[in-house]
Formats: sequence, C-alpha cells, structure tokens
Amino acid sequence: MAASSTTSSVYLHVIEDVITKVRDEFVNNGGPGEDVLTELQGLWEAKMMQAGVILGPADRPLVTKPTPAGAAAPVHDLNVPYEGEEYETPTADMLFPPTPLPTPLPGTVDSSLYNIHTGSSDYPTPGPESTGNPSENAESKTGRPGSYMPPPSPWIDQRPSLGVDVNVAYVEGREDTDRGGSRQILAKDLFVPPSGKRKRDDLVPQYQNGGFIPQQDGADDTISEALLVKEETLPNIETLFLGQKIPQLDGQIPDPYDDMLSTPNIYNYQGVVNEDYNVASTPMPNELQTPAQLGNNDDPEDDDDDEPLNENDDDDLDDVDEEEEVNTQHLVLAQFDKVTRTKSRWKCTLKDGIMHINNKDILFNKATGEFEF
Amino acid sequence: MATFELYRRSTIGMCLTETLDEMVQNGTLSPELAIQVLIQFDKSMTEALDSQVKSKVTIKGHLHTYRFCDNVWTFILQDATFKSDECQETVGRVKIVACDSKLLTQ
Repeated sequence: MAASSTTSSVYLHVIEDVITKVRDEFVNNGGPGEDVLTELQGLWEAKMMQAGVILGPADRPLVTKPTPAGAAAPVHDLNVPYEGEEYETPTADMLFPPTPLPTPLPGTVDSSLYNIHTGSSDYPTPGPESTGNPSENAESKTGRPGSYMPPPSPWIDQRPSLGVDVNVAYVEGREDTDRGGSRQILAKDLFVPPSGKRKRDDLVPQYQNGGFIPQQDGADDTISEALLVKEETLPNIETLFLGQKIPQLDGQIPDPYDDMLSTPNIYNYQGVVNEDYNVASTPMPNELQTPAQLGNNDDPEDDDDDEPLNENDDDDLDDVDEEEEVNTQHLVLAQFDKVTRTKSRWKCTLKDGIMHINNKDILFNKATGEFEF
Repeated sequence: MATFELYRRSTIGMCLTETLDEMVQNGTLSPELAIQVLIQFDKSMTEALDSQVKSKVTIKGHLHTYRFCDNVWTFILQDATFKSDECQETVGRVKIVACDSKLLTQ
C-alpha cells in the first residue's frame, strides 16, 4: 500500500489535467455544472487514496485550482435557467415542455428525451459474472473480472438492441440512401427543432436507444441485419415492424449475442471523438473485448451445445494463467518500442508504463526486459 | 491526438471508471460526458507518462507465455524481477500488456 511520491504526484497531476480539460464540457452548453465536476474529482481522489496510490491532496503539486468564479463565470451565466435542476433533469427538459411519460417505451424518441439520467435502468444491467468491462478483458479472458476491477459499466457496454428502434427503420426505409450517418440524422429530424443547441443534446437519444453511442466517422457497423433487410424490402413502417417479428416466430429466437460475436467492433464507442483516436485504439478494443464477449455466451437461449469456434482457444490458453493471476494482480501496462527474440531469449524495450506490483504503483519512462522462454 | 485505452486498467484509471460509473448510475452524469472524461484521461495519462516520468526499469524473468495480437504484446512472466533506481520488486507471476508505441505517433 505504499504510494511512491512520484507516482502520487503524477497521478494528482493527471487528475488535475483531466478535470481542467473537461471543465468546458461540464459548465458550458448545458453541461451538468461545476458542482458535478467537483464531485467527480472528489470521488476520484477518494478512491485513489483508498487504493493507497496517492498520498492525499496535501502533496498535490501546486496547480492553481481554476475556480469557477473566474473564467467560467461568464459562460456559466448562459446556463442560469438550468440552475437548481442540474441533478434532476436533463438539458433536454429545457428544450421541451415536460410531458408526463410514466412508462415510456425504450427506444422511442420521447422516452429518450425524458429518461436521460435513468437510462441505465432501461436495459438489462449486465451482471459482473456475465459481462466483462471492456477495459478489463485482457486481464480476465474468461470474462471473470479481476477482483480489483469494478463491475462492468452498463453505459460502456450498452449496445443497440435488435430492432427496437422503430424510428430508425422508418426513416431509413423512407430515405434508403444514407446508411452511414442515418442514426444521428434521423433522430435529429424527428425530435429536435432546429434549435441551434449543441451537439450533445442531439446525441442524447441514441444513447437511450439501447445506450448505444453512435459512430459518426466511417461506416456505421452497428446496423443490425434485421434492419438492413427491412430497409431494402419493406419501406412501410407497419410492415417494417412486422417484418422484424416474423423471423422470430419460426425457429429459434435470434440470440443477440450472435450479433456481438460476429461484429466485435459494435463496441466502438470511441467513434464519437475522432478518427485518429480510433485508428490507434483499434487494437486495444479487439484485444480487450473479444474474450469477454465470448465469456458472455452462456446465454440460456443459445441452444447450440457447441461453443463458438474460438472460445476454447482463449479459455484453454488462459485458464491456468488467470486462476492465479486474479489473486496476484501484478500487471504492467505500457507501450512497446521493440520486441526481439533470439532463440529462446526475448528482449523488449517498453516505455510509458504503469506497473502495479506488490500493491505498489510504479511508473516508468523506459523499461527493458530480458526474458527466457 | 491518438491515445490508448490501455491505462484505464491502471489503478488511477479504474478509480476513475468506478467514479464515472457511480455518477452515471445515479444520474449525475450523462454517459456521453463520462466517456469524454475517460478519453481525456487517456490523453492526460499518456502525456503525463511521457513528460513527467523519468525513471527507468529493467525487467527480468522467465517468459511463460507470449502473445502478439492486434498490435498488442502480452507477456506472462514467472519469477520476474523489476529493478529501478528506487526499488526492486520480485513477483511470482506478472502480466505485461504493451501497445505499439508507433501507433501513437501516426
């Protein structure tokens, strides 16, 4: 539980840096406000102290904590009408007069509007056993979270449910042209008056339609097969809806996980940001996510006794390793510059690493490794 | 700027993820804002490691498993020794996950 002073100060620096750089998003344009940001920082630091990796705010490198009074104040004025409701209501409430919707249908535009903050209850929350957090999956190939990992986050793991989104089908059927950006555009068309509000508001419905975060760059790989079929053959909304049901009446009900297995990139929730980021991060999601998805595949509706082809590979390979590893949890996260091998002798140069070893967090700028296989 | 999600699995990353989780669950924070925070963390953590950390470590050990998949190296070492200026640690088993640094400079 020793917290190295350098590690601690770097961590505190990172916290400050993150908080500073997301401040705009929190205080401007109907964000949740400075208070929420402060709460975030407080909780984060508390957890860090609990984990013993920071020594406490006392040794914080003296970054002048930007106060809301200064730079943020003028911008904050824009949000005056929102004051006092920050914790209760989404910004969308300000756009539209509240209409009572006691039992909103998941997937409809209206429910998305009024359900912003309770979204996670609209869809099944994955249990810790059944779903892996994308960020932990390389650690637990079997889908079992390491004990120091948090339970998977529903808002990270959310994906579009098959065909609930009637609105998508409707618009796509009608226009039948732009497949790529259609999810975003159609939602805007249907419910947002040209208000000039910021993008975030426009995005909200997508997250609620199954908690899916739209991929805005490149091809949209999240359109389910069902939607595609409907789009081509059945332009009318009613037949669309029927067309969606029909395949489920004969034969088995399609297992939603099948989709997931065949399209791992469905989790590309980073797509919002920018393309560069996606390019570089693509390897990680693949590495991290696939095993957990496989681990999920114990769905009772999966009538096939045979396990998916590549499931066994991972399990067999890692079972022995992971058993012990969960207990020990020594982990090094880094970037590699070079990895070479001569016969059974491996050499690698790593950089920018975080090591969690013997309950200590140690950071390094460079590391050289010599391993004997 | 390109970043890795790699560091989200570190202690600081897990603490942040937990925090964001809680705040999204209780409705304080919208999921998309939470993700923006995570992405900012990716950037900030990468920058900090690059600019603020100077220490050098040597690692030795028996390589139990190696794997290179999707540009990610995974090594599982047994009886590994980590040496730095400050300290020396020995562990019976450790996992090293390393992304390709060249991906960040693209």
